[in-house]
Amino acid sequence: MAEDIKVPDIGEYSNVDVIEIMVQPGDTVAAEDSLIALETDKATMEIPAPKAGVVKAVTVKEGDKVSEGDVILSLEAEGSSAEAAPAETAVPAEASSSAPASSSGAPQVVNVPDIGEYSDVEVIEVLIKPGDELQEEASMVTLETDKATMDIPAPFAGTVAEVKLQEGDKVSQGDLIAMMTPAGASPAAAPEPVAEKAAPAPAPEKTAPAAAPQATPAVTGGKAHASPAMRRLARELGVSELATVPATGRKGCITEEDLKQFVKGIVQSAQSGGGAGLGLLPDPVVDFAKFGDIETQPLPRIKKISGDNLARNWVRVPHITFFEDADITELEAFRKGKKAAAEKAGVKLTPVPFIVKAVAKALSEFPNVNSSLSADGASQVFKQYVHVGVAVDTPKGLMVPVIRDADQKGIYDIARDLMEYSTQAREGKLKPESMQGGCFTISSLGGIGTKYFAPIVNMPEAAILGVSKADMKPIYDGNGGFTPRLMLPLSLSADHRVIDGAEAGKFIVTVAQYLSDIKELVL
Amino acid sequence: MSDKQAEIVVLGSGPGGYTAAFRAADLGKKVILIERFDSIGGVCLNVGCIPSKALLHAAKVMEEAESMADHGIQFGKPKVDIKKLAAWKDGVVSRLTGGLKALAKQRKVEIVTGYGKFTGPNEIAVEHDGKTTTVGFDNCIIAAGSRPVNLPFIPEDERIFDSTGALTLKHIPKKMLVLGGGIIGLEMATVYHQLGSQIDVVEFLPQLMNGADKDIVKPYEKWVKQRYNKIMLETKVTTVEAKKDGIHVTMEDKKGQTLTEKYDGVLVAVGRTPNGLLIDADKAGVQVTERGFIDVDKQQRTNVPHIYAIGDIVGQPMLAHKAVPQGKIAAEVIAGEKHFFEPNCIASVAYTDPEVAWVGVTENEAKEKGIKYGKGNFPWAASGRSLSNGRDEGMTKVLFDEETNRIIGCGIVGTNAGDLIAEAALAIEMGCDAEDISLTIHPHPTLSESIAMATEAFEGTITDLYMPKKKK
Repeated sequence: MAEDIKVPDIGEYSNVDVIEIMVQPGDTVAAEDSLIALETDKATMEIPAPKAGVVKAVTVKEGDKVSEGDVILSLEAEGSSAEAAPAETAVPAEASSSAPASSSGAPQVVNVPDIGEYSDVEVIEVLIKPGDELQEEASMVTLETDKATMDIPAPFAGTVAEVKLQEGDKVSQGDLIAMMTPAGASPAAAPEPVAEKAAPAPAPEKTAPAAAPQATPAVTGGKAHASPAMRRLARELGVSELATVPATGRKGCITEEDLKQFVKGIVQSAQSGGGAGLGLLPDPVVDFAKFGDIETQPLPRIKKISGDNLARNWVRVPHITFFEDADITELEAFRKGKKAAAEKAGVKLTPVPFIVKAVAKALSEFPNVNSSLSADGASQVFKQYVHVGVAVDTPKGLMVPVIRDADQKGIYDIARDLMEYSTQAREGKLKPESMQGGCFTISSLGGIGTKYFAPIVNMPEAAILGVSKADMKPIYDGNGGFTPRLMLPLSLSADHRVIDGAEAGKFIVTVAQYLSDIKELVL
Repeated sequence: MSDKQAEIVVLGSGPGGYTAAFRAADLGKKVILIERFDSIGGVCLNVGCIPSKALLHAAKVMEEAESMADHGIQFGKPKVDIKKLAAWKDGVVSRLTGGLKALAKQRKVEIVTGYGKFTGPNEIAVEHDGKTTTVGFDNCIIAAGSRPVNLPFIPEDERIFDSTGALTLKHIPKKMLVLGGGIIGLEMATVYHQLGSQIDVVEFLPQLMNGADKDIVKPYEKWVKQRYNKIMLETKVTTVEAKKDGIHVTMEDKKGQTLTEKYDGVLVAVGRTPNGLLIDADKAGVQVTERGFIDVDKQQRTNVPHIYAIGDIVGQPMLAHKAVPQGKIAAEVIAGEKHFFEPNCIASVAYTDPEVAWVGVTENEAKEKGIKYGKGNFPWAASGRSLSNGRDEGMTKVLFDEETNRIIGCGIVGTNAGDLIAEAALAIEMGCDAEDISLTIHPHPTLSESIAMATEAFEGTITDLYMPKKKK
């Protein structure tokens, strides 16, 4: 029976413009298919179908204004098995949903399933022709996005009646691939694809580096499930950690296809991330001795490791850098006044603890800045804790010890942590645990000089704050004159995948504001 | 310049060695196999697995014939021609070792006879009859195996022997002590008991067949307790004296009480020790532990990249069916394959009567490691086939991971346990869960269905036993 599909929770907005109707009566939609597009003053959002079904009637039109709860359309939900409902089931659902009712005679539609965020993806290879008999999950066509190649598998076993596309075509989810007559010899053959389609559909998604999270292989006694032959194949393909392979086999077993898709994904992302994939010239090789005396020394281990890390960070993170000056005249007056008393309490009071505290407060107000992209790039990890790293120069090289729970510590406590780390750093005794868990890095050049610089984001953090030497500057007092104020140059580099320009700007301005009036830190 | 040269030289022709050699030859390599004895096949074929199983078969036949007396078929006391029995056993052995030599010839694997020792990282010197032949190699696979442990306080006497000596059947003692309650000693006890010796077993640990769960050893223990003279557990042997009237053995139990017994024969079966320190491995730069083991990575490589080691010499378990796949992998890795030795389980089998077999995680291990498991037990007293075989003492136990319901271990005691355990090994490797096993139709009436029944007992679906309080 038909049910009303309403506008779901769309945040704080109401009376939002409907800018596009993407379905019409009679259309068959799968769960998550976009139904309509709304536009607020900030963004465009698409309303997805909460379940699969056939559109009976559309009750809004372009130009209407809608709010949460308004009816958009009425949908005749999938009458067949419960398996049709689950979210990630792709389009083949509607193709085979008619299968249990009918016998094997009529050819069924096979559409492009959910292929992630891509549309207009090029068909680079058509692997089938009319008359071919396909097993369920046999590859039908190969699509290529700019990130990965993916094979679209047959959602059920059957004979190809017609092929509806050719190489070079550009397709999106829902486009027709072929007409296939289900293998109807045994009645079990047709209904099976309906029940089992949860397995074939997610397969194409796995070729993109973002693998479906529910496909983590089942693990018993610490070992991921794979038969001996699969374990051997894994080793031959160079996979040493089976637990990282998304598994689609029954009960979480790793199948041959899983291994191949996993390896394909890694190769694709390696090729797009590494230098070879970037199409760069090889590094120049120069015999420096030709031009004068030289002295060659092996690169110290820490420099090599941090160098490799920096090179990766530089390439992988799209950096945006913002500069700002913080008026620390009052802060410095306060600090200098407190210095003697602090010393008596055993605390060396430098500007750094104040900067840490200001950053910590800002981090708790800007969750995006206090986050990290997950390793597969598909989710964002929002930290509920605030640990701030402070870069220190040690005899062994640059290290970043982390001040834990900086948002909960007072200035003196932060200062004590810094002193402890400094001592350890000087003696080359900084522990590896001290350098883990950071949410954000502060890189202070201290008294060196210079004004602004563009620090490199310390992956997997989302941003880094560079601090240079404070200087007296004439600042407009708003009354036609200039007054000397002590200005601290701040440089914020941020990962633009996670933080947009507006937010980065707001963040650095907020930090500057806290530093210019530290009474704010008390609030 | 060595006298002979090969791409791969295999040192030792036991199951590990000959498997490696033949695999390597099949992969197109020039292979030389070094074996110190005239017949190849190592301990397994000559003085281990094969001869012992032949004799155990003889023992089994005798036992079965004897037990039929109660069921209407009287054979009477058998006439045992020991020399003929030994000759038959030797015949089985030479048939197999002869077959091995034929296989080697077909593959053009050259066998160099003599005692091989390393002279450097790419050469082994083989000594035979006073002559030395040097064999150079690009790669070497060390498969030099192990030997029985010699206890220094035990004197040399022809009435005191190890498993090798026991297999010769030179001497059937009237009263025999089996020193060591492990698999090898108990297998020999099975044979000698049937051949007429009165058997005492002395074991230092609180249990026979250490490593197996107590509950699967118990039915075996009960069976042999009814047939052997004395089974002394938690007892150590303090002195062994060879006197004219017999071997005098003083033993001390855990309470400190001592006992001295006189035996006509003593079988010393206290374990095996690896031969790593007997091949001058250090001359090749290969590291050997103090105990004589050679450590290897998962591709059987030693610390020297072109020298591999397999089988007993690399560690426990010292089993032929561990050496064989390792041999294959070493050969394949040398041939360039990305193969690794990473089995999920290796079964252990005591070919005693009744047999005791176990594979995967034991209950002891599970408890130690904090693994949460469920188990299903099936007593063979309820097995139609076992009863038809005239036996009712067996038991099959299957362990399942509590969370995933997958099989993680299996223990079986009863006739043919060693053959039955393979199904459990396959199930564990394939990650089968309880349903997979219980839904697989096992033929009836067989002993194999005990595995399905034990699984059903775990699931609560068993109908051949009444277990009211089970979950489903």
